[in-house]
Amino acid sequence: MVVPEHLVSNLFYGALLGSVYGVATMGLSLIFGVLRIVNVGHGAFIMLGAFTAFWMFTLYSVIPILSIPIALIFGLALGFVIFYSTIKRLIDAPELSTLLATFAIGIFIEEVAKFVWGSDYVGFSWNIGTLYLGPITVPYTKLLAFVCSAAIAGLLYIWFTRTKLGTAIRAVVEDREGAMVCGINVGRIYSVSFAIGIGLTVLSGVLVTLFVPVGINVYMGPDYTLKGFVIAVLGGLGSPWGAFIAGFLFGLFENGSYTILGMIPGVEPFALTRFVAFVFLLIILLLKPTGLLGGE
Amino acid sequence: MLLLVGLLVLSIAIAGCAQEEKKPEATPTPKPEKTAPQETPEKKPEVETLYFGAPISLTGKYSKEGQMSLWGMQVAAKWINEVHGGIKVGNKIYRVEIKYYDDESNKEKISGIIERLAVQDGVKFMLAPYSSGLTLAAAPVAEKYGVLMNSHGGASDYIFEQGYYYVVQTLSPASKYQTGFLEMIKNIDPDAKRVAMIYEDTEFSRSVFRAAKEYAEANGFEVVFDKTYPKGVQDLSPILNELKATNPDIIIGGGHFADGQLLTSQLAELKINVKAISILVAPALPKYYDALGTKAEGICAPAQWEVGVTYGPEAAKKLGMDYYGPTQDEFLKLFKEVSGSDEKPSYHAAEGAAAVLSYAYAIEKAQSLEPEKVREAMNNIEFMSLYGVWKIDPETGKQIGHDMVIIQWQGGTKKIIWPEAAANSDPYYPIPTWEEKEQGKLAKH
Repeated sequence: MVVPEHLVSNLFYGALLGSVYGVATMGLSLIFGVLRIVNVGHGAFIMLGAFTAFWMFTLYSVIPILSIPIALIFGLALGFVIFYSTIKRLIDAPELSTLLATFAIGIFIEEVAKFVWGSDYVGFSWNIGTLYLGPITVPYTKLLAFVCSAAIAGLLYIWFTRTKLGTAIRAVVEDREGAMVCGINVGRIYSVSFAIGIGLTVLSGVLVTLFVPVGINVYMGPDYTLKGFVIAVLGGLGSPWGAFIAGFLFGLFENGSYTILGMIPGVEPFALTRFVAFVFLLIILLLKPTGLLGGE
Repeated sequence: MLLLVGLLVLSIAIAGCAQEEKKPEATPTPKPEKTAPQETPEKKPEVETLYFGAPISLTGKYSKEGQMSLWGMQVAAKWINEVHGGIKVGNKIYRVEIKYYDDESNKEKISGIIERLAVQDGVKFMLAPYSSGLTLAAAPVAEKYGVLMNSHGGASDYIFEQGYYYVVQTLSPASKYQTGFLEMIKNIDPDAKRVAMIYEDTEFSRSVFRAAKEYAEANGFEVVFDKTYPKGVQDLSPILNELKATNPDIIIGGGHFADGQLLTSQLAELKINVKAISILVAPALPKYYDALGTKAEGICAPAQWEVGVTYGPEAAKKLGMDYYGPTQDEFLKLFKEVSGSDEKPSYHAAEGAAAVLSYAYAIEKAQSLEPEKVREAMNNIEFMSLYGVWKIDPETGKQIGHDMVIIQWQGGTKKIIWPEAAANSDPYYPIPTWEEKEQGKLAKH
């Protein structure tokens, strides 16, 4: 019977994909947690990361793994620029203003990117072999994407819990005024968190190319934005660590449910996998309205 | 001397009056804008500007295709105006100009743009937007205002099953996209029977593969796998896992650009080896090979047109029909001038050009600018342009004259391998395995 074999391999692929989803959502969650701003232009930053990996590889033969720190630095710088040019003025503005602003930033980035890079679908081929493990056939690049995602999530967790700045950020997430009273420079925390959020998102674009090195396009973002929102809500908005776990679960469900749905005759399983993933979201939110790791 | 001056003044005054009197004669047709009202006593034909209207995707997800199609249209207009000497209707000559607005690849924008073109700009001949989805949004509006609409980027058969009278098609309909490939396989390897179909869940792909399945079953193939994947997918592993188990001889699939690249990349990752693969849309673009490298070797794709096809005055003569429009060399030269870049025209450009040419040809045949008369004339015309044959089904407006060509990546270049008449290389069959390609083997004769 091939069904158990399929299930095993699909869950495996789902776990790999889910880890990338997770890192791709952490930035969104962090920015919301600290600044209470929903970054609607989230996907555009993932696109920038994907292009960073693409150009580094094509122009300078830099392997995508080494593009990760480059993308992070690029993202941090971009985050500071956007924060001081736009976001700073909008911190206590009505929600609609911040939504419009981030939406506009997203479109601006996409169109500038299109102007500079064109609208072709590009990609690269970085071949480092394939792992054959029973029913599983998987290229090492995907495994690498998983390892890097898990490592980044872990490092971020340590940074949040063990460092002074990380603790300060958590304090602001929990209680802005309280943190201020304790002498935390909230303005600085805002800029740092926003920059880290954008840095993480651009970096996740590199991980996306490790997973799928083709189909890189200036308009690739919106698909990730949508999934990012779902995953962020699932993980408990404002909890980056929750976002990572939720992303992981989302990937598992998306791919895992394929096998089960495929056994129902007359059903197009792939069309339903997202449905199942969203039902899963609904159930979690029914049971725990604040998301998996969200506070009270 | 005084008399002479007086005579001169008098003659000028008379001439002025004569011109003034003639003015009303020159404006019986209010719609096409007048640019040069040169009514001279020798009855030189009047030159007016005729606008063809178009919603063009200059931004958004179809911006690439939109830009290409616009350049194609402008090339055709340039040829009509400068080489052909304009469209001749009766005693008048019309210069063609493309009046376009950016539709942002957005369905919601389309009806407003068509309405604006039809009502405010008074355009009677529309070039449909790019893609089946946008064309479907545009068609009812064009029909409502009784303006002709020519689809150059909307292949879906569904558009032409709605009973629209004013909507006609220039490109081959979706139902013809994958049948040529199956016909080719049947010819070169009658033993390859097991077909797997894996495609994007969109209107366009569904109509392609519905027709492909019918064709396959009628021609002795066995369809062992037939499943779709959703738009914007990031991982095809689960569906490919299932496909692998069915052990097919050939795979046909795809949808648009991103998923076509993804499909190839993941077929390689999962080492799913078959004798031949044909993927929609994506492989027909040069960036496909850039993105995938040797993984792209041997992959086939149906194409509406390709630089290097053998359509020309000679081929038209053989078929006993007119050749209208620039030759391929002229087209490439004009395209360079219009686009101002060294980029080669894609098939979208040829489609756009052919749509404009078909209007010009039909208007000359009808000797009228009335959409209804031109539509009627279209029922009986059959001509060849650089894009191939143009002939529609009188009832539905669907394109029935044009043939798809099949391309295959061979040694890093795109070769036309089918139909034999248009081919510039033999099919490479069976294609190298993924493992062989990793070792650097090319699908080269």
